[in-house]
Amino acid sequence: TKTSKACQGLHRSGGYSKARMEYHHVSAKNGVADENQNAEKLSHIEKAYTTILSELGEDVKREGLLRTPLRAAKAMQFLTKGYKETIQDILNDAIFDENHEEMVIVKDIDLFSLCEHHLVPFFGKAHIAYLPNKKVVGLSKLARIVEIYSRRLQVQERLTKQIASAIAEALEPAGVAVVIEAVHMCMVMRGVQKMNASTVTSVMLGSFNDNAETRKEFLALTMQK
Amino acid sequence: MDHSKQTQYSQNEKKDAGASSSVLNGHFDGMAKRPAGGTGRAATAAAAQPPGAESSSHRPAASVMESWREERTRSVEDNEMSLPSLAAAYTTILRGLGEDPQRQGLLKTPWRAATAMQFFTKGYQEKIIDVLNDAIFDEDHDEMVIVKDIDMFSMCEHHLVPIFGRNYHRSYLFWCLETACFMFVRLSTVQERLTKQIAVAITEALQPTGVGVVIEATHMCMVMRGVQKMNSKTVTSTMLGVFREDPKTRDEFLTLIRS
Repeated sequence: TKTSKACQGLHRSGGYSKARMEYHHVSAKNGVADENQNAEKLSHIEKAYTTILSELGEDVKREGLLRTPLRAAKAMQFLTKGYKETIQDILNDAIFDENHEEMVIVKDIDLFSLCEHHLVPFFGKAHIAYLPNKKVVGLSKLARIVEIYSRRLQVQERLTKQIASAIAEALEPAGVAVVIEAVHMCMVMRGVQKMNASTVTSVMLGSFNDNAETRKEFLALTMQK
Repeated sequence: MDHSKQTQYSQNEKKDAGASSSVLNGHFDGMAKRPAGGTGRAATAAAAQPPGAESSSHRPAASVMESWREERTRSVEDNEMSLPSLAAAYTTILRGLGEDPQRQGLLKTPWRAATAMQFFTKGYQEKIIDVLNDAIFDEDHDEMVIVKDIDMFSMCEHHLVPIFGRNYHRSYLFWCLETACFMFVRLSTVQERLTKQIAVAITEALQPTGVGVVIEATHMCMVMRGVQKMNSKTVTSTMLGVFREDPKTRDEFLTLIRS
């Protein structure tokens, strides 16, 4: 059909793999780092945090800060653990053949990520929809896909696109739609300091792009408060 | 008067203020007996003194509770000078996380992150006296004054991850409070200590009949990592003076901030 060809067009142009190669991440080339490398990297990050604390004028020897560099380093590793995870790992088993072609929506997926420009969190909700083409995916896998891509240094536009491309490549559906609304702490805590501003980005692929009615239905079902 | 005030504050270091509360309240009781106009005059007199007169060698230097009163450890020039090493530290962090610091999106990130971090901790550059000195006025007003829903942002000192929330102040003298809160919350701190620091600062600057501070905040270190509880909030409060002693006053305060 015309709509699934649109999705295939995306795959042919390597949309999904392009999204992954947009930046050259160590794990993408070398696979998962081994234990020794991890420990060494952790101590580098820890030393860096000690430098940061002392340069900010704090006393790194005081009780509350003694183990902070280690905790902050581990926290940072947790917040960027998406680099080590691949779609194949989480999806491989959970794709099922179902005779279902109606819209499937998973909405209000809490999302936490780090802005790659300031290393400051941004967080919000993701809404995902797809039109299955005889293949459906376990629902929590959609949330796991969000986790993989959001636990990285990200830009909200790229994050939305990566999630959409991942679903498109894994399921080959008739259409994929992803909407993310997030609040960026780099705008709230510093800079312009606008408390209530939020950013909305969306990616529509396949039927959601071609068919205005489909898109309207998705938006009505997800954006209604 | 000054000397006795200092001894009382040095006993305020304990987090469990049970032992010192009577001392502090004794101090406030003395103040409450004065006419309203008199308290105003004393407040301006106290605030006009330089911070050096307030802090004395009686206080142990290691006390974090008192640290806000001493000279701040950072100046605007220090900021400029520490920027390169801060940026280098952030580059190390990026490499340690497996990212490529040379890619377009990350090229200037170390500098941006360093400036952002300096902004988040700019309370280190500021002193209460600078923030307050001009804005204390004599008013013949002895009813409750509440400033509520003050947005605040801080950094958790254990994980260096943001804390944000709301803040409710109260004082018995009419005054401009928001700037003081602003200064404290930039310090990287724990929420309990932050609440207490704000309350003590207001107490010392104004000698009001009572101060209540409530902070309700979301800790990203709990939401984004660790236990990952999305909707949890931490509430801490400090009640000094009349707010501690008189349950009706405290109730009125808590009702008004909940509405």
